[in-house]
Amino acid sequence: MNYSMHNTLLYVENLSVAYGEKTVIKNVNFVEKDVIRENNITGQVIAFVGRSGRGKSTLFRAMTGLIKPTTGKILIADTETDSENDAKEVDEGDIGFVDQKYTLFRNKTVYQTLLFALRKKDISKKEKHTKIMSYLSDWGLEKVKDQYPCELSGGQRQRTAIIEQILCSGHYMVLDEPFSGLDVGNIEDVKNAFNLITSTHEFNTIIYSTHDIELAVELADSIYVIGYPTIDGKRADYGTIVKHFDMKELNLAWKDFGLDHIEIVKQIKAIMLNS
Amino acid sequence: MKYLFKPFEKVNKNSRLLIIGMWVAIMLIFWFVSSMGERHLFPSPKQVLTGFTELYNEGLVVHIGSSLLLCIKAIIIAVIISLIVTYLSTIPVVTPIAKTLSKLRYLPLTGISFYLAILISNARTMQVWVLVVFMTTYLTTSLLSMISSIPQEEFDHARSLQCNRWEVLWEVVIKGRIDYVIEVIRQNLAIVWMMLVTVESILVAAGGLGFLIKNSDKFMNHGRIIALQIVILLVGLSIDFVLDYLRKAFFRYSKI
Repeated sequence: MNYSMHNTLLYVENLSVAYGEKTVIKNVNFVEKDVIRENNITGQVIAFVGRSGRGKSTLFRAMTGLIKPTTGKILIADTETDSENDAKEVDEGDIGFVDQKYTLFRNKTVYQTLLFALRKKDISKKEKHTKIMSYLSDWGLEKVKDQYPCELSGGQRQRTAIIEQILCSGHYMVLDEPFSGLDVGNIEDVKNAFNLITSTHEFNTIIYSTHDIELAVELADSIYVIGYPTIDGKRADYGTIVKHFDMKELNLAWKDFGLDHIEIVKQIKAIMLNS
Repeated sequence: MKYLFKPFEKVNKNSRLLIIGMWVAIMLIFWFVSSMGERHLFPSPKQVLTGFTELYNEGLVVHIGSSLLLCIKAIIIAVIISLIVTYLSTIPVVTPIAKTLSKLRYLPLTGISFYLAILISNARTMQVWVLVVFMTTYLTTSLLSMISSIPQEEFDHARSLQCNRWEVLWEVVIKGRIDYVIEVIRQNLAIVWMMLVTVESILVAAGGLGFLIKNSDKFMNHGRIIALQIVILLVGLSIDFVLDYLRKAFFRYSKI
C-alpha cells in the first residue's frame, strides 16, 4: 500500500524515569512521523505491548506530562504555529490521556464534561454547544447527555472519556489498556472510536497499550514491545523498547487480519516471553 | 420463613418490615413485662408518658430548639474551620497543621475547656466553642481521610484536561466531593449530638435537652429521663435522615 512519511509528530529521546533508586524505564527512543496516503486521511495508531510491570504506564504518564522524566525529552509537533516542523516539549494537557478505568468527573453530566473540556477554546458559547451536540450525535451519546458517569454504561463512559480528550487536547491521545475487561461489543466501540479519530485529521495520533496482541497487530501501524533488555547475557530490571514492528514497512498496516498478522503475533509473544 | 434465618439471605421489603415490626413488638413486650413488678430497672411506659407530658408542659419544644441552635452554630463554625484546613492540607506547607489538628482529638476536653474558660466569659459562647473544638478535630480527621481516598486517576484526569493545580483542587476535591462532606458531617453528628447534651448539662446557659436531663437526674425522675432519652434519640435520627435526604436529593450522582 502506497504511503509516505512527512513531519515528525512524536520524538522521544533517551527517556528514563526513576522513582528514587528504582529505575522504571531507561533509554527509550523512538520517532513517529505523519503518515500520508493518497485520497485518504490517515492518522497514526501506535501500540505498546509488554508484560506487566515493564513500565508501559510509567512511559504513558511521562508522555502525557503527568510525571517529569528523570532524563531525556519528549517532543511533539507544535501544530499551532505556521511553520511545518516546529516542535515543543510535552506538557500536562498537551496529550490527552484516557486511563483504563475511563475516569470522568463524577459530578458532571456528559454535556457538562464536554463543555468543561472546551473551556479554554476560543469559540463562542453557541459554537461550543453545536460542536458538543455534533460529537454526541456522531458517537451515539445524545440520549445520555444529561446523565452522570455513574448512570452510564461502560461503553458510554469510554466514548465520553475519549471525546472529552479529543475536545481538550490537540491531535494526540494516549489510552492505557483501552480494551481491558471489555466485552466484544465494547471492543468494537473502541475500534470504531479509533477509526473516527484517525479519519478526522492527518495529525491525529493514537497511542495505546494492550495485553491483547492480536488487537495490537490488527489495529496499529506501529508496534513497540516494551520489556527488560538483555545486556551482556544478563536481564536488566528496567523497561525499554526491545523491538519495533513497523506494520507499514511490513506491508501489513490498514489490512484485514490474516496469516501474516498471525506470524507477527507469534513473534511478539516470543519476544515478550524473553523480556 | 426458614430463609429469614440464613446468613446473607436477601429479603424483600415486606419481609424487612415484618422483621422490624417483630423486634419492636418484642422490645415493647419486654418493656411492659420488665416494668410491671414493684422493683424494676426501667420506668413503666405510663411513667415515661407522664414524664413526657410534664416535659412538654415545661417547654420541651423550646429546649429542643435551644439544643438544635447550639448544635447548628457549632457545626457551621466547625465545618468552616475543618474544610479550610483540610482543603489547604493539599499544600505541603499546611499538611502538618491539618494532621496535628486531627491528632488533637486524643486530648481530653477538660484540659481544653479550662483554657477556653479563661478566654470566654459567656456560658453560651463557651458551650459553642467547646463543641467546635471537639467537632473540628473529628471532622478534620474524616475529611483528611476523604481526600486521601480519592484515586490518583481522578487527579491525573483533571491534569490531562489542562487543569492547573488550583483547578484540580477545585474540581476534584472541592466540587467533586461536596456530597462526601455532607456524609462526613452526618457521620460525625452522632458524636456531637451526644456531646452537646453533656456540654449543656455541665455548662448551664440557655436551657437545652442536657439541662433537662440534669434536672431530671437530680430528682431521680426516671420517667422523665427515659422520655428525654427517647426525644434526644428521635431528634438525632431526624437530623441524620434530613442530611442523608439532602445529599441524595441535591447530588444525584452521589452513590456513597
